[in-house]
Amino acid sequence: MKVVIKQWNAVAAWRWDMPDDDVCGICRNPYDSTCSKCKFPGDECPLLLGECNHSFHMHCIFSWLRQESSQEKCPMCRQPFKSKAQDATGEAPEPDNDSALPT
Amino acid sequence: MSSNRARRIQKEIADIKQDNLSQIIVDIAGAGDDFSHLRGQFKGPPDTPYEGGVFYVDIRMPAEYPFRPPIMKFDTKIWHPNVSSQTGAICLDTLSSQWSPVLTIKSALISLQSLLSTPEPKDPQDAEVAGMLLKNPAEFEHVARDWSVKYAGAPKRERGEGSGGATAETIKQKAAMQKQNEEKAKLAAYHGYNKDLIDRFVAMGFDVEGVVGAFEYVGIDKMGGEDYELEEAYMGDITARLFNEA
Repeated sequence: MKVVIKQWNAVAAWRWDMPDDDVCGICRNPYDSTCSKCKFPGDECPLLLGECNHSFHMHCIFSWLRQESSQEKCPMCRQPFKSKAQDATGEAPEPDNDSALPT
Repeated sequence: MSSNRARRIQKEIADIKQDNLSQIIVDIAGAGDDFSHLRGQFKGPPDTPYEGGVFYVDIRMPAEYPFRPPIMKFDTKIWHPNVSSQTGAICLDTLSSQWSPVLTIKSALISLQSLLSTPEPKDPQDAEVAGMLLKNPAEFEHVARDWSVKYAGAPKRERGEGSGGATAETIKQKAAMQKQNEEKAKLAAYHGYNKDLIDRFVAMGFDVEGVVGAFEYVGIDKMGGEDYELEEAYMGDITARLFNEA
């Protein structure tokens, strides 16, 4: 018997390749969801992994680092927060790069 | 901005409601759903003068939450060196300079609860309370307990009871031990002099400390703590010293 495919709809799911923790510690939304300011998850609202291996929505951690009281420390471990260079996501932006910040 | 904040606060309140273990309660303080003004409550930790009391905390959520800490103060009057006995203002680093956005209303309330177990009189919010804790811990404990009964609804009975482990027997033992310690503390004030010997002067209207001081000033022999008749000359010296002091 031959089957002729007349039409098909592709469906794909995606998720960030993240270790166990499921929500961003700052906004408490899931990593796969957005920070509290964005509407669409994905490349528009990426995650940022620190050298201390703690990650947050990029917009969330930037909002924190902009606060004077943060002393530019990771909210989890209070070590100076530096973004870890990752091959997969390309070049991680620097926190002081204002053009990368949402308005 | 404010709706995002409201969403996180809403989530936190739901999370607290689900958690029955910590026995922490948070509700909106006013009517409607104004998430900027909340009221929290927790129980006084066991083995402290606050045991059995329920403490209410006024919580104001700043517009920048969670990037700025919730502003908390005690609604329930409490006798504690790091809380103002007048206004309820709290001195706790995690609620000011050491705040982090990963902390929550619940974690902040748990920090407050643990502050009650670990008073820090060297970094006081209320100098009077801190001074009392440093100089007279027994009196501090007494007043703190009194206030817990009066303002936080703690039961008047012996603390320890009802916390699970304590039985009538252990409470009796505790009381006996406390009495023994008090006796010891009292005897220590006599600096090795015989109690009756000193008390004969105390009966004239001086305090123990003053009499012992006078004995030491005049250089009276302790005689190994035995009671004995003092020579008249010494008696004169001691009374003269006591009256000069008084």
